[in-house]
Amino acid sequence: MEINQVTVSHDGTKRHLNSVTTAIQKGKVTTILGPNGCGKSTLLSVMSRNNRPAEGQARLEHRDLTDYKPKEFAKKFAIVYQQNDIPQDLTVEKLVMFGRMPYSSLLKKRTQEDEEAVIWALACTNLLEKRKQNLAALSGGERQRVWIAMALAQKSEMLCLDEPTTYLDIYYQLELLELIKELNERYGLTIVMVLHDINQAIRYSDHIILMNEGRIVAEGEPRMVITKAVIKEVYGVNAVFHEDEELGLYMIPLNI
Amino acid sequence: MTKKIGSFIAITVLLCMTIIYAATTGSVQLSYMEFLTGLFDSTNEKMAAIRDLRFPRIFVAIFAGAALSVAGVLLQAIMRNPLADAGIIGISSGAAFTKLFIVSFFPTYFFLSPIAAFVGGAIACLLVFMLSWKSGLNPLKLILVGIAINAMFSGLTEALISFGASSAGAITSSLTLKTWDDVTVIATYGSIGLVLALTMYAWCNVLVLSDKTAKSIGFHVTGARIAIAAVAVLLSAVSVVVAGVISFVGILVPHIARRLVGHDHKLLIPFTALLGAFIILLADTLGRTVLSPMEIPASTIMVIIGGPFLIFLIRKDK
Repeated sequence: MEINQVTVSHDGTKRHLNSVTTAIQKGKVTTILGPNGCGKSTLLSVMSRNNRPAEGQARLEHRDLTDYKPKEFAKKFAIVYQQNDIPQDLTVEKLVMFGRMPYSSLLKKRTQEDEEAVIWALACTNLLEKRKQNLAALSGGERQRVWIAMALAQKSEMLCLDEPTTYLDIYYQLELLELIKELNERYGLTIVMVLHDINQAIRYSDHIILMNEGRIVAEGEPRMVITKAVIKEVYGVNAVFHEDEELGLYMIPLNI
Repeated sequence: MTKKIGSFIAITVLLCMTIIYAATTGSVQLSYMEFLTGLFDSTNEKMAAIRDLRFPRIFVAIFAGAALSVAGVLLQAIMRNPLADAGIIGISSGAAFTKLFIVSFFPTYFFLSPIAAFVGGAIACLLVFMLSWKSGLNPLKLILVGIAINAMFSGLTEALISFGASSAGAITSSLTLKTWDDVTVIATYGSIGLVLALTMYAWCNVLVLSDKTAKSIGFHVTGARIAIAAVAVLLSAVSVVVAGVISFVGILVPHIARRLVGHDHKLLIPFTALLGAFIILLADTLGRTVLSPMEIPASTIMVIIGGPFLIFLIRKDK
């Protein structure tokens, strides 16, 4: 996906995205980082067609995003949002089946392909045993995996996640990031996610886009992007960096 | 699953029993045997009275109950709000107002009153959506705006009446004195609306997802909302035209139905139709038999039961 000089304003005065240009590389894990209100979510909303660029274009496979029909786009691009109300009285399997919507039509019955896609999505997210269970009975980590399974059932090449680890405790955070990594490595899914934890971003991404005040400040390989000077500039935080064989690069915020 | 099947069987049996009871009870009494033989005997005088007076009333009650209840389910699905009901958010009063307007000022166009009511209901529904929509659905705001719209149209209707607009029969807010013509109107439009509602169950199911998520799987959220709302308005409008405004059915019936058959609209919509038909017919039949020869309108009985039930629901939900 290519984003070319995209500008977005929600109120017509402030530019929430200011002439942003970037490209999401196929088959890689890209993480968007930045302080609150930096335009991460707005960038994601442009990619997911929830916001139309006032200027510039967003393209997927050389076609403008606005040219896609909704179902056509949903076959290429899946997204998991941060807060998701849990619908009452719905089983895991039924929710994941919603992910087959792009392939369904009013008259067509469920196909073998639909069933297989759902089973695959449930297997990927380790939810096969819970498929008949009610969503209300699941833990927070499991619920987040159900939403991911629904997105996987879309069988798109690109999977977007908006702050997937927020509200989870660290066990489930790591479990989720490992799942995302596996989806990328085993099935070649292109991943774009928004994270808050810089160390998690360093460890789990191939490519980091660091944003501030509606612009991209730096992007590239994690170790090239996340530096002492950049963290001070973007977050206003002094940090020390450390690197060793066992842990790789990591950062400890010190003071402001 | 057995509970769901049992619920369907139970409600069908109850509805049939109530129909027979309603047909045989009242100022003209019939035994069940007389009734059964009378059905196939066109010379029976008692039966002729029942055919002309009681049958239309029963049919209108059944269709009005089913239509209003299903309209409630549809509105609750598109507004993601358990308190949405055509009677509460102003759709019924909008329909009642435009119907009265046509009947009062253009009496020669009386036959257009179903269409007029549909337009009035649609205007009310549109106003509620437009005025409460601010970057998404806000359940509380929606109900507050709906109550205001309802008050406005009720006020306009009262104003029309006090200007002397109300000729007899202009606002028949009860199920008395129904004719076969009324049955034709409500059965035609009501059946169209109910069949359309049944075909829309999958859309209603997707709407439990947030708008953003529904959109991300390629679902036309706005298109589906408009289509479902149109069917809900059609169902409410035709009930108002023939049976008047009956509040609370649209809240009460879907809630009981969800307890019994769950949230899947594939079962919920047909079950709600049956349950709504049963409850309104029961309310009407009790209303005219309990204090006979006095009659309590079905709408009054519904408010008496519905009021406390609504309080119960509000206290139960957080």
